[in-house]
Amino acid sequence: MEDFLYEAVEIIQTIWDGILFGSTYALIGIGFTLIFGAMGKLNMAYAGAAIAGAYVGLAVSLFFDATIIFVFAVSAVISTLLGYIVYQTCFRFIPTHNHLAALMASVGGLFFIDELIVLATLGSPMNFPGLFEDAYFEIGPFGIRGDLLFVFLIGIVSTLLLLYVLFKTRLGMATRAVAQQDIAAQLCGINIHRTNSITFSIAGLLGGIAGAMTAAAVGVLSPVMTVPLTIKGLIVTVIGGLGSIPGAIIAGLFVGAFENFFLYIRGIDERDMYVVALLFIFLIFRPNGIFSKTINRD
Amino acid sequence: MKNISKLIGASMLLIALSIPQNAISGGHSLKVLGWGAKSGPLKSFGVNSEAALRSAVAEINAAGGVRMGDGSMAPMEVIGYEDSACKKDEAIAILRKTASTTDAIVGMGTTCSGVCQAMFGVLQKKRGDDSDSGVQMPILADTCIRPGLAKISDWSFRNVPNEITMYDELFKWIRTAYPNVKTFTGGSETDQGHSFVTYTAIIAQMAVKHGFQWVGPPVPELGPKVKQGMKELQAAAKSQHWLMGDTNYTVQARKIKKQNADMVIVASHPFSACGFMKEMKRQRVKPKLMVGLTSSASQETLNGCMSAAEGIIIPTGFAPITSEAKKANSIVSKAGGFLDLHSAAAWENAYLIKHAVERTSIMGKPSTLQEDRRKFRNALASITSQKGLIGHLTRDGSTGEASKPYVYVQVVNGKWKVIHDPNS
Repeated sequence: MEDFLYEAVEIIQTIWDGILFGSTYALIGIGFTLIFGAMGKLNMAYAGAAIAGAYVGLAVSLFFDATIIFVFAVSAVISTLLGYIVYQTCFRFIPTHNHLAALMASVGGLFFIDELIVLATLGSPMNFPGLFEDAYFEIGPFGIRGDLLFVFLIGIVSTLLLLYVLFKTRLGMATRAVAQQDIAAQLCGINIHRTNSITFSIAGLLGGIAGAMTAAAVGVLSPVMTVPLTIKGLIVTVIGGLGSIPGAIIAGLFVGAFENFFLYIRGIDERDMYVVALLFIFLIFRPNGIFSKTINRD
Repeated sequence: MKNISKLIGASMLLIALSIPQNAISGGHSLKVLGWGAKSGPLKSFGVNSEAALRSAVAEINAAGGVRMGDGSMAPMEVIGYEDSACKKDEAIAILRKTASTTDAIVGMGTTCSGVCQAMFGVLQKKRGDDSDSGVQMPILADTCIRPGLAKISDWSFRNVPNEITMYDELFKWIRTAYPNVKTFTGGSETDQGHSFVTYTAIIAQMAVKHGFQWVGPPVPELGPKVKQGMKELQAAAKSQHWLMGDTNYTVQARKIKKQNADMVIVASHPFSACGFMKEMKRQRVKPKLMVGLTSSASQETLNGCMSAAEGIIIPTGFAPITSEAKKANSIVSKAGGFLDLHSAAAWENAYLIKHAVERTSIMGKPSTLQEDRRKFRNALASITSQKGLIGHLTRDGSTGEASKPYVYVQVVNGKWKVIHDPNS
């Protein structure tokens, strides 16, 4: 009985930790899904730009002894700028009907950003200031990380803000119009490139916050983070439903819990195998993800 | 006609430009070519090793150079330092290119054990074996610490401490220096061969050998001999390991917290070691002692998690404890590098080359290249002891295994401090 209770507590704690950590995946997933929703294309450079923003925020803090809030603000601003640059370099001049070309261009963007980080830091991990680092609440046998709770809240607030922008503002209306029918939107006087630039910049802003949040949650920044975060972000986006912001949030939390659970019961060697299996299950049985509208697979 | 002349002129210019500088250099110099990670997440390895190698070569040349077979003094020349990015295919391609298109007498690379293992595999296994078409080019590696690599080929050489001895002696010392430490557990990154194998085949066994009790998941097979219970340990403790690029260590840290060991082994490279140690700190895991992987005894660990790493003890093949080591450290720092266990080996390797060349009659001319490489290999193989930066580098002639001196360092007040020198 004691063993059973111990295991039950451990599994609940594991899932809870996973859900909280999944909020970093959710933030990355929102950026992917926002761009996909607007353009129908995947921006593979997104997580790279998010981490690059966090690096610049960190560099500023080292030079000016800035506060953590300032680090986050700089990360967000730089990632906004990077989002804009990624659009201009990897999407704007690529033929819109050629999805593979844009995808490959953004993969190139990811490696380019990655290599820039390596060039600047020699690949060395960098200490990243924690947010509410000492806030660890122990409630009975359970422990809750305060910083991850904060990331969780940021994820919720970001979703609400994005939904507000998308559904209650002219910019959001323009974004949705371009997403639904770009030629018709253009005929109505909407500047497609301007709208897409703003969408990429907003996604970049969110990415900057996500990158800084993730770095603060780990406590370390390293270029080795960009590819795993890109993969997790993509999985979250597909499971949540391409283009669905609430879907990205739910899927992020779900994937976080799922991978932690399988790490606990099956170990590190099999953990990612189950996450990828989950992706396959969704692709086969629910290819449009949790929240996306049902569309014909063909 | 005018156009044809222009075409011929342009073609000749193109051909001239496409010939590598080193291939047409007929000067009397001793040429070496290095490679290491100059891109990717392990870029610091290559950058530091290149700075150390070039600085040591500059020092050698400033002191007169290398005595060649005809009695003259010639400068040592680093004809290139290629980027192998710590990738097997890149390193093998560079090795083949170096052997066939350059007049480098020796190839110097490349830090990462897995890459060396693959690279040594394309070398001729036994020298003089005409049935083996493997590459006949001496390779002198800076580090590549995984035990057993030297025996892959007669042409492969390393400058590394013996990891088995290093951890054996470390736990023996901890036994007396920290008598209140009795139990241990730990974790490693499973996608990094050196970290994971060293932890499960050497570190855990050496801890058991010196009386420390394993308190992780039950592994009755775990014993004091190298590899004893390795597979069982890998299987039993699989949920307290991680991957190099992981960002979440909550499960692993909590498992280790529950085990309440006196000593926690963090067998991992700096990024994931830092992530894990920070998570341990958050969860208030406070072991009496932490022991790390030798690859983490570097500036990267301090950059990543100085505070969380406070107190960790790691054996390392370099620390500025002698006047030579301090001088080398200062020179390499000025050259934009950093001396650590990896790059210090690159510095020492330059002197090993000088020593080997001066033991034999190498001419350093394109016409004698193959003969020079053979002579150099034999001379290098005959060196069983040579002064290094912190003591004597030795090599067992029968097994080919190198053994360089090491010290134990600890993070104290945010800096690496030598806490014990087994040779003193």
